[in-house]
Amino acid sequence: MAIRLYDYSLSGSCYKVRLMLGFLGLEYERVQMNFYPGRQHRSPEFREINPLGQIPVLEEDGLRLRDAQAILCHLANSHDASGEWLPRDAERFGPVMMWLMFAGGELMAASAARLHDALGYELDIEEARRKARAAFRVLDDHLTAREIAGARWIVGDTPTIADVACFPYVALAGDGGLGHEEYPALRNWMRDFRRLPRFRAMSGIPEFI
Amino acid sequence: MSVARELWTGVALDDQIQAASSNPVILDGQALAVWRGEEGPVRVWEDRCPHRGMRLSFGFVRGETLRCIYHGWTYATDGQCLAIPAHPTLAPPKTICASTYPSETRYGIVWTKLDGGSNGAALPDLGPDEGWEPVRSLFVHAAASPVLEALLNCDLGQQGPVHMVAENAAEVEIGPELRVLVAVHAMDDERTALHAVARGPRAASERAGLARRLERLRDDIERA
Amino acid sequence: MTVTTDPVALNQWVPCAWDGQIPVGGSLDTMIFGQPIHVQRTGEDSYRVAAVDGTTERELPVQVRYTCVFTTLGDTPRPLPEIAEFDEADRRITGCGNVGVNTSPYRLVENFLDMAHFAFIHTDVLGALDQTEVLAYRTEHRKEVDEIWAIDCTFYQPAASKAATGGQLTRYVYRVMSPFSVMLYKNVVTDPSRNDAICVFIQPKRETECLAYMPMAIVDEVSTVGDLIDFQQSIFLQDRVILENQRPALLPLDPTSELPTRADASSIAYRRWLKAMDIRFGILEKQAA
Repeated sequence: MAIRLYDYSLSGSCYKVRLMLGFLGLEYERVQMNFYPGRQHRSPEFREINPLGQIPVLEEDGLRLRDAQAILCHLANSHDASGEWLPRDAERFGPVMMWLMFAGGELMAASAARLHDALGYELDIEEARRKARAAFRVLDDHLTAREIAGARWIVGDTPTIADVACFPYVALAGDGGLGHEEYPALRNWMRDFRRLPRFRAMSGIPEFI
Repeated sequence: MSVARELWTGVALDDQIQAASSNPVILDGQALAVWRGEEGPVRVWEDRCPHRGMRLSFGFVRGETLRCIYHGWTYATDGQCLAIPAHPTLAPPKTICASTYPSETRYGIVWTKLDGGSNGAALPDLGPDEGWEPVRSLFVHAAASPVLEALLNCDLGQQGPVHMVAENAAEVEIGPELRVLVAVHAMDDERTALHAVARGPRAASERAGLARRLERLRDDIERA
Repeated sequence: MTVTTDPVALNQWVPCAWDGQIPVGGSLDTMIFGQPIHVQRTGEDSYRVAAVDGTTERELPVQVRYTCVFTTLGDTPRPLPEIAEFDEADRRITGCGNVGVNTSPYRLVENFLDMAHFAFIHTDVLGALDQTEVLAYRTEHRKEVDEIWAIDCTFYQPAASKAATGGQLTRYVYRVMSPFSVMLYKNVVTDPSRNDAICVFIQPKRETECLAYMPMAIVDEVSTVGDLIDFQQSIFLQDRVILENQRPALLPLDPTSELPTRADASSIAYRRWLKAMDIRFGILEKQAA
């Protein structure tokens, strides 16, 4: 049951998958992608692996999956006996899915800002930052309400794949010129997340906390 | 509203500054590191390590020291540098010191002032420190004066009068038993933070509702 | 900003693209020292660079070396440095594209020269928390080439390069080749008699906005190009967080505004050298002037 990850160290989306593999204690084979400057993810060879030309891609037992959020669902579904990373009860399943979609949707504006500032992607940076700040505020308001309710995680009493999916691009905001000054609840949640056992940092997220 | 340097300004909720954390705050365009040791009160420092200018809000806390993330320089609560890891046997000279600002925690709000002296007005006095519950901090994309104006005219529900208790803090009475104190903090010309706490028998149970009404106030100000 | 009038900055060769960034027949618009420039790839190995002011263009000199396309706005530019390792047949010559960094170019050079941050920023790779000491090293101003060198540098590294399989005491030599370029030689993990050569060439777009290019000439027969680039970029993106959060972004040359220690000897020598050449672009104290 070998797991193979098409990976790029600086990708926040690949980092979601690396985090989850780490939390679940899973061994995996890493296929190094030359994302930048090589643009290997857009090569004809890689398009055969993922027609969308995006990373990460995860392979396991003949299954080939793209989209970080889908991969998190798969890993939790197949490898988490506790069921806590992807809770199936009605109270938590829907909200976890909702924040998972948010991580792959609205929050990706922060990824765009980062790609612009660090790797020179041509896009409307002010628009990307405005959308990222709007998404950060939505999550900060939610986590403030959670703090008031005496809770720490996005859904329920334990971290879920919603936390894993939302963490990278919130934590990497600074790479796209976005500060954390306006989001006290996000800061506290990120610190709690970084203190989880088996947490690993990535470039752009300081090691020490 | 001008930010008088000798004025005490509320810059964070004490409850939201975790133990062993350093946090970025901008006050009147100046970057501050607001940090707390593993125990003890919140400190407010200039957000700058004197070594190579790295922001100390990126730093990490060990015991009651704040360490710069860049080279691990270690600072005591009075700002004095205690250790330089590149030179483990060296006792850092007394001249290596982080810049500190006065800080006081009152009514659940962390207050500071950029002028370190004892000039200027005292902290707002609303009676004893006990009994205040945090509500939340809000960050409004508007200058301080329209935010203050909106606050004076706001309706947080069944509301009585709003009165200023300092140049940059207002008290809102909601019914006979609930008082909300809101500290207004100008980050720069375009952004204003509000830090709200409440007092009264219903303060804790009303917290979530108050937070939502303040979010609505924030959104209304930004739409205007 | 407007184009700098600082003659010291103008008389430097700086990169404006990496070789391969532009397809043959294509072009890109970028900036150096506040001057908009247009870079055209006219053939497999030929480029044309022009300063653009409104509708008028002024052609600029071009050199393609060390995986980069270089140009200059000056009439008497300081020559590009000679780096012999890039001519050795068995070297892996690799660029890493470029990476945007919002700070002054000097903050990048100083960070590259600095060993004291390895344990904290490149933890378990270039440094370890239980071995943070920076041993004494020597700095030299080599007047014949007008370069700043730091020699006899050593640092314990848990994983010094992509080829490393364990910790080692790495020997470093640092070489500041111009105000906007710096390189290091570090002993090869698999062959201590040879040195990997890793460079940073900086394209200053504006005073606090740079692009960093990292050409390398590496001795490593095993790693893929993707591996080598991934390693180098991972290190650089760890530094980038620091670089963008130093205050002020402009470099202060007043020796009392930031407090160095012995470990910063190379930075002290670099600042002294910058001060002596009277460079103004991106220097804090020169802003009012």
